[in-house]
Amino acid sequence: MKRTLRRSTLILIFTIAFIIGIGFFTVELVFDAKDWVDQPYNAHISGSGGLEQAGKIFDRNGNVLAQTVDGERVYNDDIEVREALLHTVGDNSLNISTAVQSKYRSLLTGYSLVWGLNMPQSMRTSHDITLTVDSNACKAAFEIMQSYGKRGACVVYNYKTGEVLCSVSTYGYDPQDPPEINEDNESEYEGVYLDNVISSSYTPGSIFKIVTAAAAIENIPDIFERTWYCEGSEDIGGEPVNCVDDEAHGEINFEEAMEHSCNIVFAKLAVELGSEKMNAMAEKMGINMTFDFDDVSTAKGHYDTSKATENELAWSGAGQYNDKVNPMQMAIICGAIANGGQGVTPTYIKSGSGDILKEIGLKGSGTSALLDQKTASVLDEKVMPEYEFGGLTVHAKTGTAEVGEEKLPNGWFVGYSIDDDCPLAFACVIEDSGFGNQYARPVVEAAMSAAADSIRGKLF
Amino acid sequence: MDLSVIFDAGVVGLRMIMPLYALVIVYQCYAAMRRRRRPEKPLVSLYNQKSGGMIPVVFWENSIGRSKSSDIVIDDPTVSRNHCVLLRRSAGWFISDVGSLAGTFVNGVRIQGRAQVLIDDIIRVGDTEYQLKRGDDFNSPLRSSRFFSKVSDKPAIQAWKLMLMVTLFHLFMAVEAMFWNDGTNVYSPLVLFFALAVVEWGFFSVSYFALRRVNFELEALGLFLTGIGVMLLVRQVERSAYVQLIAAGIGIVLYCLIIKFIEDPDRVQKLRMPLMIVSVVLLSSSIVLGRVTNGAANWVYIGSISFQPSELVKTIFIFVGASALDKLQTKRNLIEFIIYSVVCVGLLALMSDFGTALIFFVTFLLVAFMRSGDIKTILLPVGAVAGAFVLLRFVAERINFIGDRFNYVLNRFKAYRHVWDYANEAGGYQQVRVLTYVASGGLFGVGIGNGYFKQYFASESDLVFGLMAEEMGVIVAIVVALAVAMLMIYARAIATRSRSTFYSITSCCAAGLLVVQLSLNIFGATDILPLTGVTFPFVSCGGSSVISCWGLLAFIKAADERTYSIKR
Repeated sequence: MKRTLRRSTLILIFTIAFIIGIGFFTVELVFDAKDWVDQPYNAHISGSGGLEQAGKIFDRNGNVLAQTVDGERVYNDDIEVREALLHTVGDNSLNISTAVQSKYRSLLTGYSLVWGLNMPQSMRTSHDITLTVDSNACKAAFEIMQSYGKRGACVVYNYKTGEVLCSVSTYGYDPQDPPEINEDNESEYEGVYLDNVISSSYTPGSIFKIVTAAAAIENIPDIFERTWYCEGSEDIGGEPVNCVDDEAHGEINFEEAMEHSCNIVFAKLAVELGSEKMNAMAEKMGINMTFDFDDVSTAKGHYDTSKATENELAWSGAGQYNDKVNPMQMAIICGAIANGGQGVTPTYIKSGSGDILKEIGLKGSGTSALLDQKTASVLDEKVMPEYEFGGLTVHAKTGTAEVGEEKLPNGWFVGYSIDDDCPLAFACVIEDSGFGNQYARPVVEAAMSAAADSIRGKLF
Repeated sequence: MDLSVIFDAGVVGLRMIMPLYALVIVYQCYAAMRRRRRPEKPLVSLYNQKSGGMIPVVFWENSIGRSKSSDIVIDDPTVSRNHCVLLRRSAGWFISDVGSLAGTFVNGVRIQGRAQVLIDDIIRVGDTEYQLKRGDDFNSPLRSSRFFSKVSDKPAIQAWKLMLMVTLFHLFMAVEAMFWNDGTNVYSPLVLFFALAVVEWGFFSVSYFALRRVNFELEALGLFLTGIGVMLLVRQVERSAYVQLIAAGIGIVLYCLIIKFIEDPDRVQKLRMPLMIVSVVLLSSSIVLGRVTNGAANWVYIGSISFQPSELVKTIFIFVGASALDKLQTKRNLIEFIIYSVVCVGLLALMSDFGTALIFFVTFLLVAFMRSGDIKTILLPVGAVAGAFVLLRFVAERINFIGDRFNYVLNRFKAYRHVWDYANEAGGYQQVRVLTYVASGGLFGVGIGNGYFKQYFASESDLVFGLMAEEMGVIVAIVVALAVAMLMIYARAIATRSRSTFYSITSCCAAGLLVVQLSLNIFGATDILPLTGVTFPFVSCGGSSVISCWGLLAFIKAADERTYSIKR
């Protein structure tokens, strides 16, 4: 019998293991339950369900973006503001998963660990959230983007504080009157639930030359003394590399190559630097990683020339080949150039009622070193082309990325303002459009001007 | 104050009482198990006439030998390591030689097999002689197991009061289910509750009046859990609730039969062979007659009735594995068990149901370990056979025989600890929904029938933890789980107090198995372990499952010496 008892002790371990397991589960429940709840399939909050008691959402100037009136969710009066901020605020459904009303649905509706989503209506406390976005800046950008009728993304953020002032993604729809998406109109709303600012990545084209330039500055000591001769087209690795429309830039130095966006110079630089150094710089600047903020992660960019031929490596230096970048990621990288190499984590959340910020668990704006300080200042002062608009001095790069598939190029415009009182970085891409200078730049000019006015206290 | 606030507060208040109430019931059940015990004192004692020493004999079955782990250790080189067994039966005390070299003598006569010993008889083991004396002749205090020490003098809760508490809990569930509904069948929960109450009190009456048993706490615990399972179904698939209740009734009959059947630990020895044959036939039938359901061929359909033979076979498996102490160590007993295991594992491998195979393998390990303490001798042949089958199946997969099924299992492992990456595909779909709805229910639940998780496939069986937590709150779900897990603590506490090692082994294996099933069910559904498709004991919807749970519970009940001794 003693032996039996001793052996039974070993079986008792199952019970002990079970109790440990339940303890582990309880810990997971306490820490993660609020993330478990916010799921599109959760019937407790999906539909217009949970929003009956949800709090208000404001923009940075106190304009109401969404609120509940008599049990109905009502969005901003201005249809353009509603559509411009669709992907930031969200709608009644949980389809746009990165939107505030989706990811913080349970908090807005008064979720608590103790009551789950089951607190009786009369006893619930709901929370208000104030966002960092400026509805005027978003509307300004949206109006122009909408006039193109193309998909795209535009983001403007403060590279010192991380506050996102403008974030617009097209296509969109009116959250007050969401479309019934069926087989007939599917193409019209393709990708409509994706916030292109955060969740999409695109071929960068010439804006990737910023990365190639950074690698050149760090690895080629005499880069500023060099000159190249551009004939508009040249064989590299057995196949041609050409500038846009085969335009010949003639004798050209490094700064001029950036200004005129000479593909041949950057293709040659990429080949000279080699795959290893190019990949190292892309990696360091965060092209292949996601940036996490406000409980979401940006889409990853892509740079990998480990299997590329010499010609492909050459093209990769000009942002073609299989290069990909995400708009938010590019805004962060541009902000880092202006900010001595430090990329500041963006945020959409300015404040909230009660202890909502604590419950959301935002870590505050962190920074990550994306560039050496010296490289950043050389890039900023010597290399980045300069523009003036909206009362701002802007260093920026255009891009026109060929995507094939019988589509027109992605038009890009990325950069930052150098004004101390208005430290704004931006990225804008318009799909299937044309020259970045022609399509993306007007969007940015409108958004930046409005954002600058907002920061400088000039309200409309 | 607004009237709706008062009303809401009332509903909330009621809901908050339920977890506390569940806790009280489970506590009372276990508290009652501890009480009303015979005091810890020797049954008889052995008096060494030469040295004048007195050895207390505290168990019903005592191994005697030179080995340190014997119950009665004799430090005499002429005594074998495992020499003989001194055991108590209803006819008195017996001694049985278990193949010692020097032999065992009673009053100078060498015994063959089992021989009766009377008080004052002289037992000679090797060169050492003992006289059997009464237990009262030994009067030093004995140490008690921790589970039974420090029990307050308070009498245990009376069985009928405990039953009333359990029934009332189920009534609350029924009322909740009436409160939250779509307006149709408002009173159907109440009807189901009455049916449940009839089963509960019918069982209680039989136990109390016909069988004249005083103790009912283990049964009350089983009924508490079974009733929760039944009531959870009322707003999901009402028909299943009645099927479940009927199955519970069959399980309870089986429970009583098993207890009656194994009353005599020596008679069970004669039943081993027929039961082995029955179980092999059952397992084979599921391969021959079995229909493939969810990729697993372990269901047998007879007319409109379907059942899983493997659920019943695991009960028999535990039965066959255990034996009285003096039979346990014989070669024949061991060889029979090994051959039987090999056949069972072989048949199971053909069935290709991962969850069942896993449970069976665990049962096998438990039994093998409990009976020999040395798994190697048993594991080797069975492992070899299992390996051969895996190889065979690999070949079968090549000819695209069970490929799909195999992928099904692989999917579950792929998503393990990454379920959120597979939230809408096979592998993570079920677990993320369990987590979401557990969290949505909060600590006190949304009310019976008021949840949304019930719409999902398997929410009443493999994922029932999610259903329970959403509708009744995570506290009730955990309390219910702990009620099952605690069975092992109880089984261990009574291990040395049961009337034979047969009972100790079966009860520990049964309890261990229930805990393993419980763990695989809950942790599988919540992504702490890979999802394996195992039922939650007593609560999961499934007739075969609930019947086998009651069968296993019978082993635990039988191990309690009070079951057969104390009568009203």
